[in-house]
Amino acid sequence: MDPIRERLTSLTRRHFFGRAGVSIGGAALASMLAEHPIRADSTQYGGMPELPHFAPKAKRAIYLHMNGGPAQMDLLDYKPKMGEFYDKDLPESVRKGQRLTTMTSGQARFPIAPSKFSFKQYGKSGAWVSELLPWHAKMVDDLAIVKTVWTEAINHDPAVTYICTGNQLPGRPSLGSWLSYGLGSMNKDLPSFVVMVPRWSSKSNAQALYNRLWGSGVLPSKYQGVALRSQGDPVLFLSNPSGVDSTTRRRMLDALDQINQQEYESLGDPEIQTRIAQYEMAFRMQTSIPDLTNIANEPKHILEMYGDEVTKPGSFAHCALMARRLAERDVRFIQIFHRGWDQHGDLANELPRQTKDVDQACFALVQDLKQRGLLDDTLVIWGGEFGRTVYCQGGLSKENYGRDHHPKCFPTWFAGAGIKPGVVYGETDDFSYNIVENPVHIHDLNATILHCLGIDHRRLSVKFQGLDLRLTGVEEHHPVKGILA
Amino acid sequence: MLFMSAAVNVAFALSTMGVWTENPGSKIDFNRQIRPLIADNCFSCHGPDEKERKAGLRLDTRDGMFAALKDGGHAVTASNPDESELVARIETDDANSLMPPASSGRKLTADQVKLLRTWVEQGAPWADHWAFEAPRTSPIPAVQDKSWIKTPIDAFVLARLEAEKLTPNGEVDRETLIRRVTLDLTGLPPTPQEVDAFLADTTPDAYEKVIDRLMQSAHYGEHMARFWLDAARYGDTHGLHLDNYREMWPYRDWVVRAFNSNLPFDQFVIEQLAGDLLPNPTLDQQIASGFNRAHVTTSEGGSIDEEVYVRNVVDRVDTTGTIFLGMTIGCARCHDHKYDPVRAKDYYSLFALFNSCDENPLDGNAAKHPPIVQVPTPEQTLKLAQLRDQAGATRTRISEEVAKTPYDSALDQGQTEFVERLDYVWFDDELPPGAKQQGPTPWSLVANPDHPVLSGGRSARGQYEAMGQQVFESARPLTVGEGDTLFAYVFIDPTNPPKEIMLQWFSDGWKHRAYWGENVIDYGADNTPERKPMGPLPKTAQWVRLEVEAQAVGIKPGTKISGLAFTQQGGTAYWDKAGSLTWTPQEGQQFDTLSAWIRTQKAAKLAGLPGNFQEILKKERAARSADELKALTAYFIENGYSKAQQAVAPLKAELAKTDQEIKQVDDSITTTLVSRERAEPKPAYILNRGEYDQRREQVERATPAFLPPLPPELPKNRMGFARWLIMPEHPLTARVTVNRLWLQFIGTGLVKTVEDFGLQGEPPTHPELLDWLAVDFRENGWDTKRFIKQLLMSSAYRQSTRVTPDKLARDPQNRLLSRGPRFRLDAETLRDQALFLGNLLIDKVGGPGVKPPQPAGLWEAVGFVGSNTAIFTADTGNEKVHRRSLYTFWKRTSPPPQMTIVDAPSREACTVRRERTNTPLQALLLMNEPQYVEASRGLAERGMREGGSSDEERLVYMFRLATGRRATAREMASLTGLLNDVRAHYKAEPEAAKQLIQTGETKPDPSLDSSELAAWTMIGNTILNLDEVVTKG
Repeated sequence: MDPIRERLTSLTRRHFFGRAGVSIGGAALASMLAEHPIRADSTQYGGMPELPHFAPKAKRAIYLHMNGGPAQMDLLDYKPKMGEFYDKDLPESVRKGQRLTTMTSGQARFPIAPSKFSFKQYGKSGAWVSELLPWHAKMVDDLAIVKTVWTEAINHDPAVTYICTGNQLPGRPSLGSWLSYGLGSMNKDLPSFVVMVPRWSSKSNAQALYNRLWGSGVLPSKYQGVALRSQGDPVLFLSNPSGVDSTTRRRMLDALDQINQQEYESLGDPEIQTRIAQYEMAFRMQTSIPDLTNIANEPKHILEMYGDEVTKPGSFAHCALMARRLAERDVRFIQIFHRGWDQHGDLANELPRQTKDVDQACFALVQDLKQRGLLDDTLVIWGGEFGRTVYCQGGLSKENYGRDHHPKCFPTWFAGAGIKPGVVYGETDDFSYNIVENPVHIHDLNATILHCLGIDHRRLSVKFQGLDLRLTGVEEHHPVKGILA
Repeated sequence: MLFMSAAVNVAFALSTMGVWTENPGSKIDFNRQIRPLIADNCFSCHGPDEKERKAGLRLDTRDGMFAALKDGGHAVTASNPDESELVARIETDDANSLMPPASSGRKLTADQVKLLRTWVEQGAPWADHWAFEAPRTSPIPAVQDKSWIKTPIDAFVLARLEAEKLTPNGEVDRETLIRRVTLDLTGLPPTPQEVDAFLADTTPDAYEKVIDRLMQSAHYGEHMARFWLDAARYGDTHGLHLDNYREMWPYRDWVVRAFNSNLPFDQFVIEQLAGDLLPNPTLDQQIASGFNRAHVTTSEGGSIDEEVYVRNVVDRVDTTGTIFLGMTIGCARCHDHKYDPVRAKDYYSLFALFNSCDENPLDGNAAKHPPIVQVPTPEQTLKLAQLRDQAGATRTRISEEVAKTPYDSALDQGQTEFVERLDYVWFDDELPPGAKQQGPTPWSLVANPDHPVLSGGRSARGQYEAMGQQVFESARPLTVGEGDTLFAYVFIDPTNPPKEIMLQWFSDGWKHRAYWGENVIDYGADNTPERKPMGPLPKTAQWVRLEVEAQAVGIKPGTKISGLAFTQQGGTAYWDKAGSLTWTPQEGQQFDTLSAWIRTQKAAKLAGLPGNFQEILKKERAARSADELKALTAYFIENGYSKAQQAVAPLKAELAKTDQEIKQVDDSITTTLVSRERAEPKPAYILNRGEYDQRREQVERATPAFLPPLPPELPKNRMGFARWLIMPEHPLTARVTVNRLWLQFIGTGLVKTVEDFGLQGEPPTHPELLDWLAVDFRENGWDTKRFIKQLLMSSAYRQSTRVTPDKLARDPQNRLLSRGPRFRLDAETLRDQALFLGNLLIDKVGGPGVKPPQPAGLWEAVGFVGSNTAIFTADTGNEKVHRRSLYTFWKRTSPPPQMTIVDAPSREACTVRRERTNTPLQALLLMNEPQYVEASRGLAERGMREGGSSDEERLVYMFRLATGRRATAREMASLTGLLNDVRAHYKAEPEAAKQLIQTGETKPDPSLDSSELAAWTMIGNTILNLDEVVTKG
């Protein structure tokens, strides 16, 4: 920051704080919490006073969402018996009349498609990992792999809305907005919830995303995720217009602040002070965001760890590196939505394209956080919105096949703060169709994330339309104890 | 006992603000103090939900509260807290019996425990929930400062303030007042001329005249519509999955019209919920019924129809509940409501009212998801009428021609009606209609006696040195049926025979060929249907029929052949009469007898015939009546009789052309989604846990049991429901509606939870006022303009917004109206105001959504690749990009960031209350978004052109445009200092100045110096970002 700006900024802020202390009552202060540390002993801005409910293991979280429904039996849920079942029908005793999407419910047969990819055991945990995830194989002892997450939704839009907001219908707050609302922000130069939407490599139609997946639903919109973009301004409207440099903007803001301050003196509305503060934060973001996205100073060995794509904005690897840089800057919640995991057909070619996008960068992110000590207080989550069927959709050969949506089991892995590393949790049947041990509903999954961040999911609620609205719904759910450290 | 004493009232109101000053000794009001407490802490186990009820105890009804417990005691014994188990259980130290149990995560405070004990001591008075009893007017309260009272509203507001020992503010200065009221009624600021006129008008009713003027503006309806469209969850896309375009903007424009014409609110309710069920509904009433269709829909592959159907209906029920009942009935979808007396049965009885729309639950990703209605422009209506007249005239001429050409039924004697294949001649003497000659050698049609002719008067002669052919394409087609054989006749000159002859047929490509003789013509893959060998050359010097099975040359049944070629390798050959051996009806086919025509109709399985003729033809010939024969004959003459066709065929062609034009105009007419009821209502069932496939008991259409019953004279459908909503004794509709309007103008509802008037909602701050307003609104014809005017005329509304530390402490959120309403403008108003001040706003009402520019990649980042809204293409031209924000195209899965950054909802679900936040992203938007920058420049240009010649005059003018008032000396000093600095900067940096003023769709005024304009643009940018300018003050 240049000295002139620094002086002006501090002047404005001192002016502001000084005045706030004198003239504004406690109730008014409440509306300004976004700009004030909530407690003397922490650097938390905003949030609910009663949160966290208990000492958190994780201060922040990174959620790597693989959108479309990764095929679990080709990645992390090894099913060796399926080899004998090639092209045999899925036994009715397994399916038990369970509903199917109308994409395959009309199929005459449900022939089993064993994974064509080979699996090996790795690490001390002995986790089975597919050849498609060689980098994951190297870090299984950092991960808790839950093989038994399940959901009720079987189509993308409701399923992804469900896992991200706790409800299949639009309108509810997303996980990240709950965290911003409940825990507030840990810094005053960056948003507390940042979302990235990288490119993907599978060729067929990728499923849609929806702004609601990081929206604030019924919570105020300031809690919604801020998209960190790879195109144009990294944050919308961050850049001054052409022909306006930073000094000119600073000069304009000084005049603006003065006049707003005069208005405050005449009207006394504390909202005016908040507005002044928000303009100042906007100005700081004009510096902090470019600092964030400028990776010129990243050492070569770090870049190499993330892979060749890391220097290309919009790649998953680049987003993963950004996630680390955001975590370093104490952004509370970072979510990456990687699309293209919807392999109804041509899985043999499409799935490797997808794993190639993410495998190395996921490894790099976890290791990078670890070597900086950030993994000690950062939670990392990887998973999709549902799984895929063991039976084939469309043409089946030993070399290629497709898979339909399957809600009854799919894997998610956790790593970092609050998580017991080197664990494989839950078991599915030989068909990766039904859960035989330790089912984890998506509400349990979200309860686990909240738990790691010091939140009792039952007590993070907001009154909405007569309901204590919660991320995890009205029924009983629990954090997954078996993977907690 | 609905209302309480003023003292309790105040104590209660403060409690809602979190400043609990309750004196436990004063008389406690059940509705406002006790019920919310037990609802919150006890109802989840001891409430309306039977399944969850513990120990058989329910505390949500009077009977339940005072009933004997299983073990003999009583939960509540009036006036005797020590005999009340409820009190014992909340006061106990025993963790095992403490209520609420620790596992519930709930805990009563010491004050709350004490309050409950006191309430029991006071005799445990019970009252039914206030919002479920019809509103009643109470007398207008007496106040000390009568001079402040301008409308009855003021008396209610002031009574509260006086009781609280707060003094309201005086009336705000007139510049600020006219800005406030103009923004509130039109969503736009006043012009300096309007401000001056108001300042100059010293008549007592000057302010009232301003309100009347503003309510006559078309901008009034545009502004009012915005709030309703949030509630009605209107969008320009379907909202789920592909999120394709949905054509529904006529509904949006209807809402604007409804507000502008001040459609009474009861009618507004009826037309939207059930406009389609009105007798002979007008087009507008049908459009209004689109309200029930504005919810999000999907067509995601794999979706289960029944599941989507249930979701659609659920959205209708929940939205209706929120908007009209102010109730969160959605909880009862899965179970009996935990707090409010809404049972699952009530929910599905409402569901039954909304479940019979005559639609496919999946939208098909189509813009026009039926049922729809057409909404033609006047031009389209006129054009259609003209074309239809024209078609009618042609039809008359056809009838006349038919009448002129009698048919002699004697011709049918000896003719059978059995179907048989006959030669259909496609080519003879001349090319079929529409045929275009192709290729380098033209057709050579020759006649007798110099040349051999088989049929008619001419044949086609081919005479070549090498390969040559006669070819046509684009002819009226020859339709091929199952088992048809193609034929043509050839006569080979014995003196000069070709080496090879070939027939070729065209249908979506020249790839069907058969040849005779040597295989020397190199067309198509050999020995395939593209070049089928048929044997040696036929005999010469005589006409030979060449036959080829259509299948053998790869022509499938149903194919339409539109081209033919006679091809030969050298030599001389004559060709005549080509066609097919078929019973397939052919386009333009003519018949000499009725019997022949009937044979063809039968071959075609009577397809394409009007139903009554199908019936006639199914009968034996002898069984047809004279009348039937007469009708049949007339139809035949018109449609097939060879003697009539010469005159009729051209007329029919003309008619077809007109019909085509009618279709084109028809297809271009805008449509909109509407409600339409199925003939037979669908049965409705209680769905266990809300799951579509878990049907339980079947339910009838009914209104919820806790509200007044549906009177027997009302129909059990949406219409009956709508009329029930507006019955005088209905406790909710009027209250909920006036409360929402209060929110719109005052910033917070009298009931803060405008969407929830149930037991969990916040009780009203001014209950008597709420009821007075509700009754007043209803009794005065649900007149929305009158209601708003009454509110805006009040002293309460007209107060200055100045707040002292004392008021801030005692009335922090201004719930008591101790000062005027002051809050940030909504997203649309912010943008519209900027465009208006920058002289950019296009003053046009209605029409399809427009796409002002937005940052690249927003739709692409989320859109399904196959969606027709996956790629955003901005409109160009200020006529489109500078429309009011109401008209901005609304893609629900990625709404315009200029709106959502400033708290606009996504319109995926019903929203009756927007949050108001204050964030840095909003600052970035207002400072940097290109249209705001363009508006800054526009404002600067106005200052330079219209403001005067001195800096001071210009600054005063620009500041006044935006705020309505003159800047103070200190404000002037700040702006002047800024102006001098940026002026120096842009003089030194002329390139930067040029860049800045180029921002936006419109070009800067070339007569202005660019450095100077850039400097003033920064002034404009500053003014548009002033807190005062982005705020309604």
